[in-house]
Amino acid sequence: MFKNPLRKRQYIGSLIGIVIGIIIYIILPQKSAEEYLSIGPANTGHEGLSCNTCHTPAKGTVLQQLQSNISYTFGQRKTSADFGTENVDNEKCLACHDRPNDRHPQYRFSEPKFKDAIAVIDATQCETCHQEHNGVRVALPDANYCINCHSDLKVHKDPLDIPHETLISQGQWSTCLQCHDFHGNHVYLTPEKMKDTIPLSKIQKYLKGGKDPFSEEKKYMPLSEEEWLKLKKEYEE
Amino acid sequence: MKRILYKIGIITGTIFMFTSCGGGVPEETTTETLANDKVFDVADVLAMIAEENDVTRTLYTKAIVGAGKKQGLKFDEDWQKDDVEAGPLPALFLRGISSDIQKSEVPLGLYLGSDFPINASNKLEGKQAALFDKIKKDQKPQHFFDEDQQLYTAMFADIAGAAPCVNCHNDHEQSPKKDWKLGDVMGATTWQYPSDKLSYEETMDVIKAYRDGTKAVYNAYLSEIEAFKTSEKPTIGEKWPSSGFHLPTAEVFIDSVRLLTSYHTMEMLLTKAKKSSGEVATR
Repeated sequence: MFKNPLRKRQYIGSLIGIVIGIIIYIILPQKSAEEYLSIGPANTGHEGLSCNTCHTPAKGTVLQQLQSNISYTFGQRKTSADFGTENVDNEKCLACHDRPNDRHPQYRFSEPKFKDAIAVIDATQCETCHQEHNGVRVALPDANYCINCHSDLKVHKDPLDIPHETLISQGQWSTCLQCHDFHGNHVYLTPEKMKDTIPLSKIQKYLKGGKDPFSEEKKYMPLSEEEWLKLKKEYEE
Repeated sequence: MKRILYKIGIITGTIFMFTSCGGGVPEETTTETLANDKVFDVADVLAMIAEENDVTRTLYTKAIVGAGKKQGLKFDEDWQKDDVEAGPLPALFLRGISSDIQKSEVPLGLYLGSDFPINASNKLEGKQAALFDKIKKDQKPQHFFDEDQQLYTAMFADIAGAAPCVNCHNDHEQSPKKDWKLGDVMGATTWQYPSDKLSYEETMDVIKAYRDGTKAVYNAYLSEIEAFKTSEKPTIGEKWPSSGFHLPTAEVFIDSVRLLTSYHTMEMLLTKAKKSSGEVATR
């Protein structure tokens, strides 16, 4: 069939390539293959979610996406297009985690006065603290981020036995979370004595994905994957 | 040489084919085609919506909080906590509206701040604090372009327009200032929008986002009342607290806001619209 051995090798090589391609195309989209595709373990609470709960398909066909991005590269359109899957941004997080009682909603930090704070820690983005695929709740190394906005805090008629001003002057920024959970969703009464607060070690374990030391009870629960899919379907209809 | 020209031709042809044939993914905004429809200056739109906000908040403060307190209704900064059976204080009513706007697709930002806020996190700082000093003197709005976020920004005086504003702030144990008087500039609202011109549609979206936000927060308050376990629940319907232990429905409340704001809002829409040539729009 092949007079030239080079052609034969090319033919066999192509055939092997096509077969491998077909196998990858069939196997990789399977749910069982998701853990091999993931860049790291899902964060706490997200373990059972399918990839496409967050990584939703981008608009248009692959060819359209390709065409849009080439057009964008050559200045023929103003915006690029998501390729393959949509960008996972705040909107995606808030689709399940939005709550009316959020003590620190991300939009709050868009106000100009937080300019210096967000230069250090960009609290306008959920991902800054909750970077995905790290197998934790909070991916930041230290629990002292309150320093960026609350360094001049003054509490009138301070109920705490060691006043907030003393803790601040001593630079004890890790103690904030021992009473106050950042997003304020736990049903939890803040203690008035430092000895009754949650030990820092428990807070750190919690941030890394451990047991919730504040309370099992929360005012609002995030949507489950099933609830989210149902809501999405209703919205699309 | 021929081969190089051939390759360049193939590449150029491919790029041309990819960029000119068929349709790509539709772009979210088609600003170019809308350029001529951008008839409102952002400063005018923000001034208009700030006025709607003043009217809304004054109505809520006087007719719901002020009159409601006389009937025994409670209002608290922790109104959303499970163990607190109360409604939102006016500043938190605004915070709720702001939050709802942020959830909408309208890129409008709204913040409330002061130099003597009850909650320290609402203290104005930096450029906002400097401009607030000017606002306190002449009560005139301040407009600037926020270079960091690339947003058109406007600040408007938040004046003590009702007795409950003054009384609550003077009586609150966490308040850093206890001698507020009616007519004082107690703070400022800061508004942001990403473009300097808005079309009719975008302007309507801004108004709608604000009014939807008002309705959402008011409905959240009514839902809290529904969940009261120990406190007496007011009747919710057509009547207002001024006539007894009642609260208006969200529709009745919003209708009153519409009634109070429509004249000025319509005036702005009719007089401030300019075609790109400078003509007043006739449609």
